[in-house]
Amino acid sequence: MNDSFDRDWQLGELLDERQLAQAGSALGELLGRELAICDAADHVLWGILPPAARRLPLVIELEPLGWLVADVPEAALHGAAALLTQILRTQVRFKMASHLHVQAMSEDFETLRLEHARLLESEARYKALAEQLEKRVKAQVAQLEERQQMLYEAEKLASVGQLAAGVAHEVNNPLGFVRSNLSTFARYLERISELKGQLAAGPAAWTALDLDFVVADSQDLLQESIKGIDRIARIVAELKSFSNVDRASEEYTDINECLRHAAGVIDGQLPPGVNLRLELLPLPPLVCLPGHLNQMLLNLLRNAAQAIADAGRPGTIVVSSEADDAGIHIRINDDGIGMSQEQLDRAFEPFYTTRPVGTGAGLGLSSARNIVLAHSGQIELASTPKAGTTVSIFLPVAS
Amino acid sequence: MPDGDASTLTFKLVYYGPAQSGKTTNLLRLHEQLAPELKGEMMTLETQGDRTLFFDLLPLGFRAPSGLLIKFRLFTVPGQVAHDGTRKAVLSRADGIVFVADSQRSQETNNAEAFKTLADNCSRVGLDFQAMPLVVQFNKQDLPAAVPPEEIRGRFSAAPWPLTFASALHGNGVVATFELLLRATFRRYAADSELSSRHALDEESFVRGALGPAAAS
Repeated sequence: MNDSFDRDWQLGELLDERQLAQAGSALGELLGRELAICDAADHVLWGILPPAARRLPLVIELEPLGWLVADVPEAALHGAAALLTQILRTQVRFKMASHLHVQAMSEDFETLRLEHARLLESEARYKALAEQLEKRVKAQVAQLEERQQMLYEAEKLASVGQLAAGVAHEVNNPLGFVRSNLSTFARYLERISELKGQLAAGPAAWTALDLDFVVADSQDLLQESIKGIDRIARIVAELKSFSNVDRASEEYTDINECLRHAAGVIDGQLPPGVNLRLELLPLPPLVCLPGHLNQMLLNLLRNAAQAIADAGRPGTIVVSSEADDAGIHIRINDDGIGMSQEQLDRAFEPFYTTRPVGTGAGLGLSSARNIVLAHSGQIELASTPKAGTTVSIFLPVAS
Repeated sequence: MPDGDASTLTFKLVYYGPAQSGKTTNLLRLHEQLAPELKGEMMTLETQGDRTLFFDLLPLGFRAPSGLLIKFRLFTVPGQVAHDGTRKAVLSRADGIVFVADSQRSQETNNAEAFKTLADNCSRVGLDFQAMPLVVQFNKQDLPAAVPPEEIRGRFSAAPWPLTFASALHGNGVVATFELLLRATFRRYAADSELSSRHALDEESFVRGALGPAAAS
């Protein structure tokens, strides 16, 4: 049989032996006779079964759950049975209510337990979700960094291309006149060799062939050619310092050298009407990545030249350097078109550019800042619209 | 499954519904109006200001031609939200359910929530809600704010359960609701409990036995 509140309660469950004895003896006193209380199956639970007695059912719901047996008049037995039934009814109400209460409490507890388990489960789910999100964010950040790196490389390639174009122009010019000088010099040699057939004419032949001029001009041609070749050699040397941009090793470097290199490279590419002046004071050597600094300085000089060209009037770029106890100060000043407040605010943002699409990725200043930060330095912009811009760089010298 | 042995078969029928929808009143009126062969006293457990705290119990019964005693124990659950544990305990092992809804328009949300707890609690106590004999009674039809039957029928036309309309306070529709539940219960368990084959009971005699001759349904 189950333990639920709504089971069929047996008489023996509703009244225990002590309660039966109390009720039975009290009823016995009232009736003044022997009596017996039997269960539904007619087993005597209390008392002694009198012979030839009356019996009345004890009914709570539909069927008798016991019998009261006594040898007394019917009315008296009815009264006694009604009294006992009332006691049983009270008992059954109490038993059902208390059992139901226990059952409900355990149900409530079970509900709480399930609720708790569900909460734990959902917490675990959220945790897993958060981890997953974190992973995805990381992956996307990595992807963005990769893209940015690719763009940075592209920008570098573009500036290398620009550099190559400038170099080609620079080299072509001396190459042209050196070649022309050499072919003129070859003709002069032919003229000189004609002297051999006219040796008999004596000094008159020298004059007739105008060899005074030929010799003097040959000197000029060769001097000019040597200068031209020196120029090419200088350009190549300056180029060399850019050829190892990605060399990651740090070196003791004179920043003035870097400035001269960059100025040398940009010099041949300056638009007409733009002058470049260097005002360099002696600097202590700095441990740095010269390739990166060179590229940065070249970019800044190019910006300055462009700013003057944009202003549509002649101008000067002044590059100055000086050192104090803390470190090295570099200033690149131009008297070009200047920058608006909005441009100043956004100048260091990656991909911010005022140039037409395709002429720059807008990474020049942002990568300049990255390079300066990598050297634990600072970079600042000061500008007045239509009056010019100054880029100030500070690089600390390790003590 | 109805509980029983060789000599008796007990059906536990539960009146479920939101607070104060008239579940106890349904049982009181059935006690007055039904006259089956066996009818016990209505047992009302503790109440608090007229609100059921535990349950009410009305026992009814009749004897099948085979001698089998068919017993019905009609229970009400406490409707108040706070007594959900008690509601579940009373609901467990139910063989049939009357859902007593309050027809007043303002009670629609309460009805819906109580019905949802009925479905939830059925699955929690291991009852197959889909297969459960269930009648939905819209009580308090006598009140002026009651939603009329046509509108309710229209709205619940897709529901698989029979709908009845009652005003239990005046005794209307209470027996009809119980009769519908008896029929649904008979159809659900007749084969499993061999009511026709072994005990010579058909649906009509089952219903007549439970209602008694005097009941005007």
